[in-house]
Amino acid sequence: MLAGLRVLDLSDESGFLAGKLLGDLGADVVKLEPPGGDLVGRRAPYLRGEPGPERSLAWLALNISKRGITLDSTLDPGRPLFRGLLARADVVIEAGPAGVLDAQGLGWDTLAPDHPGLVWCSITPFGRAGPRAHWRGGDLVVVAMGGNMKVTGDPDRPPVRCSMPTAYYHAAPEAALGILMALHQREDTGRGQLVDVSLQETQLQSLLSAPGQFARQRRPLTRSGARMGRTREIWATRDGWVSFGLRGGPARVANLEATVAWMDEHGLAPEWLRAFDWKGFSHLTVPDEEIERLEQAFGAFFAKHTMRELYEQALARRILLAPCNDARELLEHPQLRSRELFVTLDSPEIGASIEHPDFFARTSDHAIGLRRRAPRIGEHNAEIYGELGLTAHDLEKLTAEGAI
Amino acid sequence: MGRRERDAPGVFAGLNVLELGSGAAGPVATRYLAEQGARVVRIESARRPDFLRVLFLTKDSKFGLDGSPMYVLLNPDKESVAINMAAPEGVDLVQRLVGWADVVAENFSPGVMAKWGLDWDGIRALRPDAVFVSGCLFGQTGPQRRYPGFGGQGSAIAGFNHLTGWPDREAHGPYGTITDSLSPRYVAVAVVAALLERRRTGRGRHIDLSQIEAGVYSLSEMIVRQSANGESEIRRGNRSERAAPHGVYPCRGRDQWIAIAVEDDDAWRALVAALGDPEWAHAPGLARAAGRLAREAELDRQIAAFTSAEDAPALADRLQAAGVPAGPVQDFADLLEDPQLAHRGHFVPLRHVHLGELLFERSGLRLSESPGGFERPGPNLGEHTREVLGGVLGLSDAEIADLAAHEVLV
Repeated sequence: MLAGLRVLDLSDESGFLAGKLLGDLGADVVKLEPPGGDLVGRRAPYLRGEPGPERSLAWLALNISKRGITLDSTLDPGRPLFRGLLARADVVIEAGPAGVLDAQGLGWDTLAPDHPGLVWCSITPFGRAGPRAHWRGGDLVVVAMGGNMKVTGDPDRPPVRCSMPTAYYHAAPEAALGILMALHQREDTGRGQLVDVSLQETQLQSLLSAPGQFARQRRPLTRSGARMGRTREIWATRDGWVSFGLRGGPARVANLEATVAWMDEHGLAPEWLRAFDWKGFSHLTVPDEEIERLEQAFGAFFAKHTMRELYEQALARRILLAPCNDARELLEHPQLRSRELFVTLDSPEIGASIEHPDFFARTSDHAIGLRRRAPRIGEHNAEIYGELGLTAHDLEKLTAEGAI
Repeated sequence: MGRRERDAPGVFAGLNVLELGSGAAGPVATRYLAEQGARVVRIESARRPDFLRVLFLTKDSKFGLDGSPMYVLLNPDKESVAINMAAPEGVDLVQRLVGWADVVAENFSPGVMAKWGLDWDGIRALRPDAVFVSGCLFGQTGPQRRYPGFGGQGSAIAGFNHLTGWPDREAHGPYGTITDSLSPRYVAVAVVAALLERRRTGRGRHIDLSQIEAGVYSLSEMIVRQSANGESEIRRGNRSERAAPHGVYPCRGRDQWIAIAVEDDDAWRALVAALGDPEWAHAPGLARAAGRLAREAELDRQIAAFTSAEDAPALADRLQAAGVPAGPVQDFADLLEDPQLAHRGHFVPLRHVHLGELLFERSGLRLSESPGGFERPGPNLGEHTREVLGGVLGLSDAEIADLAAHEVLV
């Protein structure tokens, strides 16, 4: 869908996914690394536990669908190369602490006048300007400051984050969206512009308007762990956890009745439960003792089954119950398999054959999907610098100078 | 600052979007387009209201379907047209609106749109260059496509619950059913990419997005780690595999905390200095990440002992000034006072006819040439029925009255 667009990806880990997304949409994304490789981004864990920048699984996962070159744009011989790359680019993505490129004279403010058609996307922890623009922060800090952490976790423990960096997952599609908006406008005006993405600000959408609701009634929320309000939402099974809402309301009556009928087939629905009036049940008004009695009955039933057994029956009986899957479950998931979500890419150089999610949405002609495995360090130097007219001899010299 | 400026109509001025569906994931996607000036018309019905309109509805609710703050907050700058899709005339009206729309967005269960002749073949017959996006939980195909779940189920199935919490406790997921906030961004990305493509080719597209798949795609690194190494990621509280100390520490006051992430050795030296150069911080090996990871529990205890006497925002200021990534764990009241969010004009105050002044929220992106923003709160149900049927479809007042009399416009 984005064929013919060139993206120069200068990002650190907080922006890897944004460039990948554009690559999966068909843009020609060129990942820039320092000579010798981005040793921070090419981080652990490594393929089969053997360290090496070419074996970084984060790199292989997130810099897929990109080509890769090396460049030290702060060195004199590197600067004209950087400008040459910019002249051929439609989009630049920078991600990391605010102001790093600007300080080198290689930021948007300096370069925009010479490249009026360029769309420049800057992903920073807090935004490019403002009282905390200079603050540092990765996933942990921006999730803490974005409001989500305070209401996530158990009441008797500290607030907690997701162990994978969701701040970057929220920001990446938002950055890609801003870039696409700017490209859309460029079609009319011929001019590029700056897309300023704040990791902290993108976090707030995860609250789904809760701050605005809070502003109205000032009713504070607290962490409720495995409960949703008063009732249990996450239940132990024989081999893991399932999500099941013990909440009332007309939309849930059939669901609760079906669950009791299913428990009854296993002889695990006591008489009071079989006679329970779900139409009159409200999780807001039900007494505490009643909640306890219900949770014991449902909990005893779930604990006797595996996640898969419960999910398969939930599907057949149209019950709102979901397993808390891990990656292994996902890779074997019949629904995801049937949609061919996963594709295997080979990296013979490192003896790897790895499955990846292939797309974030399906559309005809596989227009959204992986294009190529992640680049090795400097893999496409000859190809891309060749476009700038550099010869093999020039490249040798630049390598010797430490510029590429 | 959050209001759209009159001289900057937005990237999508002139773009027509027709939206069917309900909940958060669908409407949040089109909100991005509304924020940049698209005209977004929602088809709704009091017969089967959007569940966000009834979420907190009780017998005492004064404003009925028009009094839900969550609905109003998630649907700014949109128009609402009430149409009864059980009536053939209702289906006919929506089909005619498809002819007007550049983008048709829906998040029903698979098969609902087809019932009204509004599957991709139906849509493209009405509007050959439409961009049509379907965004249900599991996608339009596959054996489990009709699985009846909400965001809570999506978050669990996609793997986010398993990854969030403490290793010795339940897998409970981040607050706010994360697939409801992640997947709309991908919907918007796919739509705008298709609109860009349409400018070149003149052709539309159908996009079949599964909220769960968009979540799994985001977790690509986790999938790759499982596939390559057979490592199943697990929730680790606030710890990092690579950096220490890395956690959330108690501060002075009730439920007050600070997040501190020592991501490299420089940040460690800065932290030690900021803590007053205590003796325990000079134990052998702590200058390097491996040494700190090996003694993580002990470092966490020492740091917590220090932070407990400190005020979280003031300590964060000091640590940041010293070069340590740190920040107070902010609650909703803190967000409303956050000077950085204020600088970006994140909260936009708008007056709602029933609910009074509400704070609407901007996305996390700003375009230098097209600031975007919101001007009107989410609509009352059917607020724009007359305007749209008259203004867009050219129906006369008499025709509209006749449809209303036949209960088509409810």
